Amino acid sequence: METIRDLVPPPHIQGIKHFVDYALVDEILKSKDFRQGSHQESQPFFGDSLLTIDHDVHFERRRLQAPLFRKEALEYYEREELLPLIDKALEESKTNMDEDGVVRADLCALIRTMLARISAVTTGIDGVDTPERTDAFRTYIEQLGTGATVEWSVEDHDDVIKRILEVRAEFVKEFYGPSVERRIKIIDKFKDGEVEEEELPKDLLTLMYLHWNDNWDEELPLREATLYLVASSQTTTHALPHMMIHLHEWFQEHPEDYEKRFDRDFLKQAGHEAIRLHLPSPALLRIALKDVTLSDGTNIAEGERVACLFTPANRDKSVFGDDARSFNPYRETPNVKPWGFAFGGGEHTCIGRTLVTGLSARTDNDEGTDGTLVNIALALYKAGIEIDPSDLPTYTELSFHDSYGRFPILLTNV
Amino acid sequence: MKDKEFHLKVDNEICQGTGYCVRISSDLFSINGRETAQVLIPHPSHNYQEDILEASTLCPTRAITY
Ligand code: HEM
Ligand code: SF4
Repeated sequence: METIRDLVPPPHIQGIKHFVDYALVDEILKSKDFRQGSHQESQPFFGDSLLTIDHDVHFERRRLQAPLFRKEALEYYEREELLPLIDKALEESKTNMDEDGVVRADLCALIRTMLARISAVTTGIDGVDTPERTDAFRTYIEQLGTGATVEWSVEDHDDVIKRILEVRAEFVKEFYGPSVERRIKIIDKFKDGEVEEEELPKDLLTLMYLHWNDNWDEELPLREATLYLVASSQTTTHALPHMMIHLHEWFQEHPEDYEKRFDRDFLKQAGHEAIRLHLPSPALLRIALKDVTLSDGTNIAEGERVACLFTPANRDKSVFGDDARSFNPYRETPNVKPWGFAFGGGEHTCIGRTLVTGLSARTDNDEGTDGTLVNIALALYKAGIEIDPSDLPTYTELSFHDSYGRFPILLTNV
Repeated sequence: MKDKEFHLKVDNEICQGTGYCVRISSDLFSINGRETAQVLIPHPSHNYQEDILEASTLCPTRAITY
């Protein structure tokens, strides 16, 4: 099957200037003469969240949230939350075991269950525990994700927004409201000296209510939480099936490497390649704050919106070599990050990157964590993952995202 | 961490010139007229520990090592 496709720019960005060259995309993303241009229609879901604010206010908000990604916090999430949650999801999958001891599952659904729970922990949503509650919660995240990326939807955009706002109201009733209530109570106790700082939950919502800013509107934490939930689970859910299918093909072509399926460093590089090749959205959009002339002479007028097509930029042969369009876990990229623009660039570079890749890049100071991609892939190999040759994965038809919609797998060793 | 001597560095291939490190400590970092940040004190004393930790975690590209 075809596992690497070319990007077809969706209607939403036709008619605006496109940049596909690595150096120009880099120039735009890091320039202070542009602001965020994505999520114009999805304001009801993401408005004023970290992703959509720029410069001074962005700095302050990002500064507030950065402690969630300190080394100790990352170690805590990985050891105390992620690893047990992976085991739990695999354990639960046994309900679909046949007489031969083989579990049939859908990889997308399985990964979504694992990631929904870890997203809930980092965001601060309680009660995502039983399979039923997790199912309900991940359905909410998926729907919120549809609202938050309405720009790329093939359905009528107004209908999508209306429908998903109704869904969000239910989500607030069932999950968000009670979680916020509990946090406000515990923060009050902390302020009264009844609770120590260490006892406060380590999550986004606690941080926001603890350091409340009077310039914020009351719904801002809900939109920020929506950003965290969608940005953390949808992206990783998108990346992992690509990683697994590329590894499957790689092992077919290089059987001598099959034993490396338990090798964390090999898996790490495979993860980097998968996210380099398969970006979480079709483009990163930016709006010029003044008239700008780029280094190649292109003029962009004040207020003009441009699209950085990071899929072709991440397959730029001048940067990643002649085989840039293919998956190669042995690729060396001495001058650039191995994932290229997968986590964006400039101020808005993904705040959650270290959760995904672990503290593994050359600037992360320390080893210490391996991140979600490696840990989940490793657990799947230990569980004996096999792709069913008679029932191959298929892409989603619901949006312009380069994502699998259905991915049947067998687990032979749960 | 206590006995560690800091070797503060910015990876210029990764730094995106946001200037966020300079906002945390203009003693340690500068970006005057340049595309990427420069380290001003390569071996800062422990008085700078909090700033170093904050800047390296806040740096959007995590280009700072210490
Ligand atoms: C494979 C996984 C992931 C990929 C490929 C990814 C990709 C990205 C990209 C490309 C951006 C920048 C968007 C732009 O500039 O318009 C971004 C921003 C962001 N990501 Fe991720 N992300 C991933 C995982 C995560 C995780 C696990 C979190 C968890 C907290 C997260 C939270 C965020 C947030 C909050 C932002 C906004 C940052 C800002 O604007 O300052 N992401 N991500
Ligand atoms: S915060 Fe990081 S990316 Fe920004 S200028 Fe400093 S080192 Fe460079």
